[in-house]
Amino acid sequence: MEKEPFFANSTVINWQMRSPDAAASLPKLNSGHLNLIWDQTIDQSAKFGSALSSLVSSPSSNLPATTAGGDSVVIHELIGRLGSICNSGEISAPSSHYQSANNSCYSTPMNSPPKLNLSIVSNPAHMPFSADPGFEKAARCSTFGCSGGGSHGGGKFMFPEVGKLGNAQESSSGSGNAKKRKAALKAKGNETPLSSSVTAITNPPKKAGVGGLNAKKSKPSEETGVEKESAREDADAPSKKMEEEKINKPPEVAKDYIHVRARRGQATDSHSLAERVRREKISERMKLLQDLVPGCSKVTGKAVMLDEIINYVQLLQRQVEFLSMKLATVNPQLDFNLENFVTEDMEIHQNCGLLPPQPVYPLETTSSSFSFAKQPERTPLISINGLELEGQLNPFNHPNFSRNLSMQQPPLEGIADASCQLGTFWDDDLRTVVQMGFSQNQENVFSKSFPG
Amino acid sequence: MSKWRSAEQQRIYGRRLLEALRSARSSLTGPWGIKKAADYALALSARGQSRWSRAILFGRSRGGKVMLKHKAGGKIRRLRRFHPPGKLAAAQMNGSKVRDRLRLLSRLVPGCRKLPVARVLAETADYMAALQIQVNTMRAFVDALSAAAVAARRTDGELDVEALR
Repeated sequence: MEKEPFFANSTVINWQMRSPDAAASLPKLNSGHLNLIWDQTIDQSAKFGSALSSLVSSPSSNLPATTAGGDSVVIHELIGRLGSICNSGEISAPSSHYQSANNSCYSTPMNSPPKLNLSIVSNPAHMPFSADPGFEKAARCSTFGCSGGGSHGGGKFMFPEVGKLGNAQESSSGSGNAKKRKAALKAKGNETPLSSSVTAITNPPKKAGVGGLNAKKSKPSEETGVEKESAREDADAPSKKMEEEKINKPPEVAKDYIHVRARRGQATDSHSLAERVRREKISERMKLLQDLVPGCSKVTGKAVMLDEIINYVQLLQRQVEFLSMKLATVNPQLDFNLENFVTEDMEIHQNCGLLPPQPVYPLETTSSSFSFAKQPERTPLISINGLELEGQLNPFNHPNFSRNLSMQQPPLEGIADASCQLGTFWDDDLRTVVQMGFSQNQENVFSKSFPG
Repeated sequence: MSKWRSAEQQRIYGRRLLEALRSARSSLTGPWGIKKAADYALALSARGQSRWSRAILFGRSRGGKVMLKHKAGGKIRRLRRFHPPGKLAAAQMNGSKVRDRLRLLSRLVPGCRKLPVARVLAETADYMAALQIQVNTMRAFVDALSAAAVAARRTDGELDVEALR
C-alpha cells in the first residue's frame, strides 16, 4: 500500500475548517494524532481493513455519544482501540492515544469508509488531491464522530461525486448503499479532481441518521467478529479486496480467526457472514481452476465453468487410459532397451513440462478405436474421426510395419487440427532423439515392403 | 499445487513410472494394469498430501473399497450412493445444474465423494495438475519406447536382410 501522509494532514485540517460541528474538539486531536497515525498505519494500510473490522464493536459502542464533547471521548476511545489493533499488527504505535484518533475517524462508518480510505491510501495518484479525498474522509469522520449531530454527510463515503453524495443522503440506506458503492468505486478507479468533493462536505446531509443506522446494523455483525477476534491482521486479503473494487470485508486471515465484515445493506448475522466467506473461498478456487483449464478465460458462470472442468478432467483421464494401453503394447518389446532410453525420457520430460496442455483429440479417437473409451457423449465425434483414422491406417497396414508406427503416423499426418500441434511436439522432442532411427526405419520398411 | 509445475516433479514421476514398468509385477498385466500402475506412481509422487492421492494409494490395497478414514486407524467405509450434505451446506451453490456438476466432478476425482464444495474444487485443481504431468510423462515414455522398439527392430531387420543376402 502506498503512503499518504499528507492527506491525513490536509483532510483533518480542511475538514475541521469546514465542519462546524465537531470542529472545536476534533481538530486539535486529529491533526496531530492523525499525522502520526498515518505514518504508521500506512505501513499497515493493508491491515487497516481487518483492524477496522475489529474495531466495529468499539465504534458501535461509542456511537451513542453524539454530543460534541462526547465526540472527543469517543474519538479517543476509538483511536485507542485502533491503536491496539494496529499494535498487534506490527506498528510500534507511539501511543494508543494517537491511534484512538484514527479509530474515531474510521470506525464509525462501518464498512465502506475504511475500505474507501484504504483505497485512497493505495492510490498514489490521490496524493495531489489529498485535500479532496481528505475532505471526504474528514467529512465521514466528522459525521461519524458526531453521529448524533449528523452534520456532515453521515455515512456517505464516496469521494468524488457530489451528486452521488447528495443522492446517498437522500435515499434510504439500502439504496444509498449501492450508490455509495458506485461512488466509492469511482473514487477508487478515477483520479479525477475531487474538487466536487469539497462541496460534498458542505452538504449537510441528513445522512447522519442513516450513518447511525448503518453503524447500528454493523454492530452485531462486527461484534460477532470481534468477539472471536484475535487481533491479528491479514495484509494480503484486505489489500486484494480493496483493489478489486468491492466494498467487502477481508474475508480471511491466515491465522486463527476469519475476519469478516458485512457489506453495507446486507444481512449481518453470523450465518450469512460465514456463508459469504465460504462463497468467496469457492469463487477463489474456481478462479484457480479457470487458470488451470486451457481456454477458459472467457467462460463466466459456475455452471459452464464446471462443465469445462469436468470435460477437461475426463479428457485427461481418457488420455491416460489411451497412453497406458499404448504403453502396454510397446512394453513387451522393450525389455532390453529400457536403460538406453532413460536419459532420453528425461530430456523429453523436460520438454514436456514446457508444453502447454493440448487437447489431443486424435489420440482420443484412436483410443476409442480400441474400445477403451466409454464416454457416450463423445461417440459421434469419435466415430467420425475413427473413420478418418481407419483410412489413414490402411496404407500403413504392413506386416513389417510395427503397430506403433502405424499409430504414430496417423496422428502426425491425418487430422489437420491436431497434426500441427503434434507435429511441433514431435519436432521439438523427438527430433533430437528419434530422428535417426525413425526415418531410417521408415526407409527400411518401405524398401523391404516393395520386394516383400 | 505449485509443486506440480516443477520439472523436478515430472522427473520424479517419470522415474517412479519407469520402475513400475520395469518390475514384472502381476499387477501390470490386464487391460488396465499399466493405468493402475501409472496412477499409483502418480499418487506416490503426490506423497499422499491430497485426498485423491490417498484414495488411490489405499484404494488398491483394499480391492476397490475406498478407505476414507485412514487416519482413524484404517476404518473402511463403504461408498454410499446418496449425495452427502456437505456439498449442499457449503455456501449455497445456487442452482441444481451447478450441484449436479459438482456431484459429477466429485465422482471423477478419486476420493472426493463426500467433500464440501471448496475441498472438491481444491482437490480438482491438484488432480488436474497431476493428470497433466501424468499425460506428458506417459506420452514421452510411449514415444521414446516405441522409437526404441522401432530402432531395435530396424537393427534386427538389417541383420536379417544381411543374413538373407
